[in-house]
Amino acid sequence: MQAKSQSTVQPSPAHDFLIATGVLGLSVCLTLFVQAVKLIRNPASTPITTNTLIGLGTLWLFSLIGVGISMLMKKTPWKIVQDFPMLGWVSIVSLVFCLISPFFVKVIGAVDFLSLTTSVLAFAGISVAHDLGALRKLSWKIFVVAIFVYFGMYFMDTLISQLALMVSGK
Amino acid sequence: MKKLIPLVILVMVIDFIAELIGTLTFTLGTITISVLPLVFAVILGIVFSLIPSGFFKRLYSNDRVKFAGKYMIFIMLPLMARYGADVAPKINEILSIGWVFLIHEAGNLGTILFGLPIALLLGIRREAIGSTLGLGREGELAYISEKYTLDSPEGHGVLGIYLIGTVFGSIVFSILAPLLLAMGFDFRAVAMSSGVGSASMMTAASSALVAIHPAHAETITSYAAASQLLTSFIGTYIMYFIAVPLQRFIYNHMTAKLDKHPVQEAA
Repeated sequence: MQAKSQSTVQPSPAHDFLIATGVLGLSVCLTLFVQAVKLIRNPASTPITTNTLIGLGTLWLFSLIGVGISMLMKKTPWKIVQDFPMLGWVSIVSLVFCLISPFFVKVIGAVDFLSLTTSVLAFAGISVAHDLGALRKLSWKIFVVAIFVYFGMYFMDTLISQLALMVSGK
Repeated sequence: MKKLIPLVILVMVIDFIAELIGTLTFTLGTITISVLPLVFAVILGIVFSLIPSGFFKRLYSNDRVKFAGKYMIFIMLPLMARYGADVAPKINEILSIGWVFLIHEAGNLGTILFGLPIALLLGIRREAIGSTLGLGREGELAYISEKYTLDSPEGHGVLGIYLIGTVFGSIVFSILAPLLLAMGFDFRAVAMSSGVGSASMMTAASSALVAIHPAHAETITSYAAASQLLTSFIGTYIMYFIAVPLQRFIYNHMTAKLDKHPVQEAA
């Protein structure tokens, strides 16, 4: 895949990239599976067409390009660029391609949005399975704080947006 | 690889059940709440691990649980790529109110303004630094663990809210979104604020909004995705340059006042 393997900074970028390729492949396959189950549950939901398959391939490719860019940026001397998250690179790559050609918007649109989310949360649930003891040990106070943290952010964001929208007359 | 296949099957079983349950919609007073399959997926992922049988104990082996945690971010990437396609068709509309998107990022400080005083009044001290710096997702986790390590009180604080967010985040945001609408806010303001920097919370919030305003689905998802993108762009820097100093300021002033009157244990 990649010729340059620097064992000093990271274990092996080529190896990491290969794993990313595989896991991304798994992710789009799971998305297809979920979209199929959605169709069983509700035949009126987003159908699986050729465009869906092309769309999934496109999502896989854009994600992989984002991973590649993110890995390359880690080698730049600028901390601000190094710190920019992989998730952000992927969205930017996709945005740029989608602005260049509406074809990408069309095929990606054939992939059901919510079908992309279910497996992510399944992974999230599994990933915390061994931390439940810690969760149970948390004081009730942290739960109260969490509610205020979530509400505080969402409310402040919305309030500022609302005021700004009113000022801009939209 | 042999270890991976059971994990993949487990995820498929979870997906299957979660999707068969589907989206549940119910009303609380005047508020309509939609609970998405993704909420059931996270719950099922946890519930299966609690089944007291050797089979499930073996299924949730250390290797697999660690794998799920480590590679969840890659599983999430196609969703991030999807955001690009959501934003692109509306890019002109979004850029025309670009400054609104920019300044509303300041609302991220709400975690400190609302969360920190409550935490301090409840008698929490250094843990509060970790649990109110932000939403307690990957960015904050990385920052706190680098600065204080995860074994410190600050580290316990951020781990606590990370866990709470993973388990309850999507359900909480499915409720908060309609709540804000009911408070009289414009759906566009709520939509652009849904991009809080956590994919599951953003998806839960924006889907809840779409369920209420299906005619504006495109606007809602594009606004949410655009602000999610912006948050991932500048969220880290807002944290470094504004949130951290602000938090320190409030923390020092409030603890100085609170701990002068010896009602709580001294920090």
